[in-house]
Amino acid sequence: MAAAVTGRGVAFIRGLSAGLYSRLQVLACGHQQLSCLHTSSSLESKNWERKNRKVYPPQLPDEPCRPAEIHHSRRQIKYSKDKMWYLAKMIRGMSIDGAIAQLEFIDKKGAKIIKEVLLEAQEMAVKNHNVEYKSNLYIAESFSGKGMYLKRIRYHGRGMFGIMDKVYCHYFVKLVEGSPPKVEQRTGYDQAKEYVQNLRNRTIIHSL
Amino acid sequence: MMNLAGLIVSLRGSLQRIEMRLLKAAGLDAHWAPALAVNGPGLLPQPDQEQQQSPGLLDSIMWMAAPKSRRTIEVNRTRRRSERKLIKVKNNIEPCPECGHLKQKHVLCGFCYNKVCRETSLIRQQINAMEGGPLRAPTVETVVLYEGEMPKEEDKDKRIVERPRKRPAWFSY
Repeated sequence: MAAAVTGRGVAFIRGLSAGLYSRLQVLACGHQQLSCLHTSSSLESKNWERKNRKVYPPQLPDEPCRPAEIHHSRRQIKYSKDKMWYLAKMIRGMSIDGAIAQLEFIDKKGAKIIKEVLLEAQEMAVKNHNVEYKSNLYIAESFSGKGMYLKRIRYHGRGMFGIMDKVYCHYFVKLVEGSPPKVEQRTGYDQAKEYVQNLRNRTIIHSL
Repeated sequence: MMNLAGLIVSLRGSLQRIEMRLLKAAGLDAHWAPALAVNGPGLLPQPDQEQQQSPGLLDSIMWMAAPKSRRTIEVNRTRRRSERKLIKVKNNIEPCPECGHLKQKHVLCGFCYNKVCRETSLIRQQINAMEGGPLRAPTVETVVLYEGEMPKEEDKDKRIVERPRKRPAWFSY
């Protein structure tokens, strides 16, 4: 009986050690294979800021002028990402002057922050990114992301508690030189017409 | 002697047996008390008490509204991003003709208002210094004069507040 127990115990230990060894191997081989390890994101890599460093090869004389792109962001803003999204959505596709004008008259905490970010980005564009006219910029991309939350305890009755999140968000903006592109206004009538046309374009396959 | 004791014991036994048989015949030997003593109403719940339970936490769950199923993220997004929830673009913003800052059409320019506020607070500080304490306002009107200005004919009865600077352009005299 003792021999059987020790036999099983040895097998168990062998299995354990094999598992540990394989785990260590996997950990050591690299972060690309394991998606659950955040080694490339969130903590030390700020991808959005790195986009400003991208250098293109010099353009040939007959190529159309590549418009300047300026990426700017602000991290760990004490605001909710969902509330920030509404502001980011509003200024998408606007000229920078129009966006700053709108944000000045919105009664939201995030509006002031986004206005500061836009003014910083405009200054950066003129100083570092060879933009000639500071008004000749429009907002190509603007969105908000979730920052690192702090957790706190929220006390309920009867000794119960909940965990409260102190929310933070990031805000990202990409300015492009030039006038804002005109968005084609599609009415409901146009959409309905297109839908009916799609239905009419259907054919019966494998028919005579 | 032994015969006597044995006789008495046998007599006693037979008498007891006769007593038992007599009681059984009469039907008086039945045990009426229950073998185990229990609380009366607990054993047999009355039918009218069953429907009416005391209102408590369990009962209140019966009629409270509760969601039947989880709202999917698509449904949630459609509600959160619908037209009425988005921020509307304002079309009543114009530049102030005085200072050039932006203002809304039906609202005073914030910059101009702030500059007037600052000058007014300085005038008020001067007035407080002149009065020296609370509740000492004179019963006459007040006139603010800047550098190099003389009071006019109609201002001779009024209290004069001197400000040691040039008259601002927006403050006409």
